[in-house]
Amino acid sequence: MDATAQILFGGLFQGSLYAMMAVGLALIWTTIGVFNFTHGVMMMLGAYIAWTLSEIGLPFALVLPLVIVVMAAVGWALQASVVRPLIGRPNIVLVVVITTLAAASLIENATLEIWGPRSKQLPPLIAGNTTILGVGVSLHQIAIIVIAPVVLAALWFFLNRTRLGLALRAVAQNEDASLLVGLNVKALYGLAFAISAALAALAGIFMGGYRFMSPVMGADPLLKALIVVVFGGLSSVSGPIFAAYLIGFFEAICSYYFGLYWTPALLFAVLIVTLMIRPEGIFGSKSRGLA
Amino acid sequence: MTAPIPVSAIPSSPGRASWRKEAAAVLVAFAVLALLPFVVTDSYSRHVLIMAFIYAVVASNWDLSLGYGGVFNFGHLALFGIGVYAYGLLTKFAGIDPWFAMALSGVIATIAAIVVTIPILRLKGIYIILVTFGFAQLVMQVILSQSDYTGGTQGMVRIQTLYIGEHNMIRDGKFAYFYIALAMLFLSTVFLRALVRSRIGAGIIALRDNEEYAVSRGVSIVRQRIVTLAASAFFTGVAGAFYAGYQRNASIDVFGMSLATIILSMVLLGGTSTIYGAILASFVLTIFAEAMADLGAWRPIITALLIIGVMLVYPTGLAGFIQSSWNGVFRRDNKVA
Repeated sequence: MDATAQILFGGLFQGSLYAMMAVGLALIWTTIGVFNFTHGVMMMLGAYIAWTLSEIGLPFALVLPLVIVVMAAVGWALQASVVRPLIGRPNIVLVVVITTLAAASLIENATLEIWGPRSKQLPPLIAGNTTILGVGVSLHQIAIIVIAPVVLAALWFFLNRTRLGLALRAVAQNEDASLLVGLNVKALYGLAFAISAALAALAGIFMGGYRFMSPVMGADPLLKALIVVVFGGLSSVSGPIFAAYLIGFFEAICSYYFGLYWTPALLFAVLIVTLMIRPEGIFGSKSRGLA
Repeated sequence: MTAPIPVSAIPSSPGRASWRKEAAAVLVAFAVLALLPFVVTDSYSRHVLIMAFIYAVVASNWDLSLGYGGVFNFGHLALFGIGVYAYGLLTKFAGIDPWFAMALSGVIATIAAIVVTIPILRLKGIYIILVTFGFAQLVMQVILSQSDYTGGTQGMVRIQTLYIGEHNMIRDGKFAYFYIALAMLFLSTVFLRALVRSRIGAGIIALRDNEEYAVSRGVSIVRQRIVTLAASAFFTGVAGAFYAGYQRNASIDVFGMSLATIILSMVLLGGTSTIYGAILASFVLTIFAEAMADLGAWRPIITALLIIGVMLVYPTGLAGFIQSSWNGVFRRDNKVA
């Protein structure tokens, strides 16, 4: 019972974080068709801004929406500076990889310069611990397990039930046709980046509440998000969400039975095998659409 | 069976230098480089040049798979890392002669490249990036987990150096190492240029530019991809081995994102599908980075800004920049697209 509960909590918790990260990556891939390597530093930057805002004494209920707005603006600005000018070039996928990698290195080192190398920690969403099914868990982790699906459901609602969300999906499906019916494609690209950065920042705040923050804290989650989107298929937003929880559980099981050291290697082996058998991911279809 | 086509029957492509001109230019350039140790006498400056040569080998070989092949191989640095660790392990635990171990490291990197090519044969674009990226992480995790041999996160220290007879490699102001590195770069460059100018190279380019048409004309995508990746791996592995023998230590940092970003920016800054562009950019970036050595955290910031700036303004990289300024100065018509 103890082992099952531990795996269950570990899987749900990691899965929630991965889902928050992966959805943002998938959103940008489906709408613009590029891969955003700044996603990890967006997460880190969100956590650092939240730290500064809570240091100057703002209540956490105010910090959270403020960070989301600021990071959405950062995401928009990033898109306008290193992605939008390249759209239409034949080798855009590759060039965006390098510009976003460079931007990530820029932001990471700027963070180091501004905030210094000392590790920091955010206050947890809810303080305290509890015991469920014989396993001690912090209320912070439980809060994340509860909040993440709500956020993801809200995103699903936005993409499927609102005009703006539908417009975003339209751009993802057929850019030329969207342009013809009068959608502002450039603004929608910016919107995709803004939402993605805000989601990453939220994940960063979640993570900063239980782990020490450092300028490189986003690297590992970015890697995991990459695996998740490949595993789930890049063609949808719901695929990566399922895949995130699946991988969360896979990791929890692996690290329980094989140890933490072998988990990443096993994960990558599974990834490579998945791609050999189903290159479009386990939940993917062959087309590039959204939701 | 097709009879070999006489050389005269292959139409010379416009704007491409004849191989005699190119060979002459390469020989002159390397002769100039070979004279450098007589001008640059302090060992630190020589060290910077040696590092530039190593990076140039890695970057120009990456240009073969990335630029010519159009295969987004993000595991290229893993091949370098495999060379580093193969040399370290072979000399330390198998007691193999350093020179032989260096060649063997190139072979091992080539085999690794063939292994990673198998899962990406059916894949395209972004999926290739992800699988090769995953491959690099996999190799790193394996090295980390075998810490009894590889030293894990601590890395390997006191790796055997290369030797030339009784010559003291350490106290000659890096004189011998300079020439070994230069020779390595020379061999690699000649190999790469000969390959891309050959019929195999034409097949690689044809696959990149129009896969369906190339396949319909009998270019085998499986064979060509394996050849591309394997060819780009050998000298990369040798460079890794040289790096290990030269630095005398191996660390897991060679698999990190920062080194990959720097080398990738050398390839892209130089301009893809030129080989020379990557080599030139390696020199520029390495020396540039050394010039900013005391700027601390500002160094990567400035480098990143430079990369973004060049990518936005000159999508074809330094090679394109030189080409366009050359045309501007000499008022040549720009026939080459």
